[in-house]
Amino acid sequence: MGGLTGALNISLGSLQVDEDAIATSANNVANADTPGYSRQIANLAETAPITIGNIQFGTGVTLQSVTSTRDSILDLRVNQETQLQGQLNAFISDGQQIQSLFNETGGTGLQAPLTAFFTSLSQLSANPSDTNTRQGVLTAADNLATAFNQTSANLSSLQSTTNLGVTQTVSQINTLTTQLATLNTQIASSTGAGQNPGPLVDQRQLLLNQLSNLVDVSEINAGNGNITLTTSAGAPLVVGGQSFALTTQVNATTGQQDVYSQGTDITTQIASGQLAGQIQIRDQEIPALQNSLDTLAFNFANAVNTQNAAGFDLNGNAGGNFFTPPATVAGAAAGLSVAITDPTLIAASQDGQSGDNANANALLALQNQNIVSGQTPLNYYSGIVFKIGNDVSSAQASEQSGSAVLQQIQNLQGGVSDVDQNEEAGKLVQFQSAYEASAEVATTVNTLLQDTINIIAL
Amino acid sequence: MSIRLDPNLLPSLLSSLQQADQNETTASEEVSTGRSVNQLSDNPAAAAALVGNTNQASEDDQYIQNAGTLQDKLQTADSALDSVVTALTRAVSLGTEGANGTLNPGDRQAIAGEVQGLITQTLSLANTTYQGTYLFSGTAVNTQPFVQNAATGAVTYAGNTDTTSVELSNGNSVSVNLPGSQIFQNAAGSAFQSLQDLNTALLAGNTAAIGTAVTEVQSALTQVSANQVFYGNGLSQISSTETFLNQDKLNLSTQANTLVGVDPATAASDFSESQTAQQSLLDATAKVLSLPTLFNYLAP
Repeated sequence: MGGLTGALNISLGSLQVDEDAIATSANNVANADTPGYSRQIANLAETAPITIGNIQFGTGVTLQSVTSTRDSILDLRVNQETQLQGQLNAFISDGQQIQSLFNETGGTGLQAPLTAFFTSLSQLSANPSDTNTRQGVLTAADNLATAFNQTSANLSSLQSTTNLGVTQTVSQINTLTTQLATLNTQIASSTGAGQNPGPLVDQRQLLLNQLSNLVDVSEINAGNGNITLTTSAGAPLVVGGQSFALTTQVNATTGQQDVYSQGTDITTQIASGQLAGQIQIRDQEIPALQNSLDTLAFNFANAVNTQNAAGFDLNGNAGGNFFTPPATVAGAAAGLSVAITDPTLIAASQDGQSGDNANANALLALQNQNIVSGQTPLNYYSGIVFKIGNDVSSAQASEQSGSAVLQQIQNLQGGVSDVDQNEEAGKLVQFQSAYEASAEVATTVNTLLQDTINIIAL
Repeated sequence: MSIRLDPNLLPSLLSSLQQADQNETTASEEVSTGRSVNQLSDNPAAAAALVGNTNQASEDDQYIQNAGTLQDKLQTADSALDSVVTALTRAVSLGTEGANGTLNPGDRQAIAGEVQGLITQTLSLANTTYQGTYLFSGTAVNTQPFVQNAATGAVTYAGNTDTTSVELSNGNSVSVNLPGSQIFQNAAGSAFQSLQDLNTALLAGNTAAIGTAVTEVQSALTQVSANQVFYGNGLSQISSTETFLNQDKLNLSTQANTLVGVDPATAASDFSESQTAQQSLLDATAKVLSLPTLFNYLAP
């Protein structure tokens, strides 16, 4: 083309492109604080030149596309770290409640009642025929049984709360996967139509990050802008425009809600995310503690019973059960109760005489005998205290280092995608002057055209 | 081109602020509780060790309380035997006096009367009770150990020969009683029998028999004295264990403090440092967040 009309067209095109570029910056500034937003760039390009004779003339500028700046590798890393954080946070939050049940430094827990039971026997040994001292032993035993009952009940109640949490998390996961499937469809059609899917991808990325906090989601690029989401063990969550809801179903044995995908029980396969942390607390941490408590209660009660039966009570009769004998290890802590209410029935004597304390001594000696899984009752108990404290403490350490890593990756991600006000202000000034220059060019060309018309008119 | 930095500083700043808040909470908890371990997860090993420590301290308290009870009991037995020794010593000198050939029957009868009194006294001492239970009847503490036949005057032992021991501290027990039979009875009869023999001999005026009876009383006296040492030994064992227990409690409390305690001065300065740190971080955050951008400098 060339010539004055060509120049006029070029400057008019340039005005249009500058307006679009300014609009892009305006949009960036407007969305600077929108969650999930990644800054957009107006991609300008030269238009194809024309050749007149053997001379090439440029034909101006065009807006090729507006693209969102994302780094999909960083997005993926953020999601992976988020999964771990989700799991650890769920574990820590529940774990802290569990450890408060055994907080020996704060004076709660089983040490005090366990010790009190044995010191009451020590007192009995010094004064075996005194009824008040005997009553003291019964009271201490009652307190100990109650402490076992309550600790076990508190653990059970934390377990049901976590169980409820599992079903709530599953329902949140389903809401998110439904939304993600819809976005997948929209992104595919937008990509197909040659539009910029950036804003939709932003939304999808935001939801995907929320989903990562809940479950161990694995992301596969399915082409055409679609992503396929599965759990890390392969259970489908979103495929194209279709979402696959997770369901929960009561496990007849444990009484807890198991997680199902397409009819398959995937409870034990959930590797990370909040759901994994909750399942870990509910199916491993609490049952292990319950079992330890039960083992302690079972062996302790049986050892006391056996020793009590080996002696004679204050009336000279052979001793009977001190505690109601637990039928099985399971439930021993929850059901522990003192079988006798008459203080004379404590078998302190070995020779049948009321002044004898030999069996009280033998009962007292149980505290130093390895009657619970090869350990003394108190050492076994301090093992429980250590386990829960250590589990929470390890999770906290992982959470802290993971959180630093996540922060680091998020900073990198922000470096790629976040809106920089200075940058946008700079671009605005840049395109403003470009716009003004193009307008000046158009005015000049217009004047020249006028001049030409005037010359012809003369 | 340099790497683009994250223009959004808020998340990093907030995370630093959260950390500072956390530090301040931890420091204030340490100041208010006086402990560095307030949750098990703060130091699981120390929390687990504290279980044994607290248990041992409570046991020591009970041992000390028991020591008090046992001291009372053993002292009662000891002083009863002390009186028995005094009575038997008196009987020996009365017997020696009664064996003097120059005494007239009236004098011997008077001496016999005093010996009769000593029999009653010794018998009563051998039946000493402590808080309603007999001290010298073995483990049959509700059975009166020495019973006198009203017709014959003979004294028989109704208790048993069992002994009891009580733990004074871990693995350290003290025997707290001797059966009355061991203290008062012997091959020849008993302390009571020897006194009765002396009484009979005095009444009969038989100086040879008086001499024999004095020898019997003498040997009963030796036996009681020898057994009395048992109670003295027990008391001294209790008293030295008490000293050990009090020292042990002190050690345990020092240990507990090392495990979970916190030095008040350090805790207080940690707390004020954490406050200063948090304050300056807040200042810095406010300044960083209100930094102007290029927009502020563009002409209107």
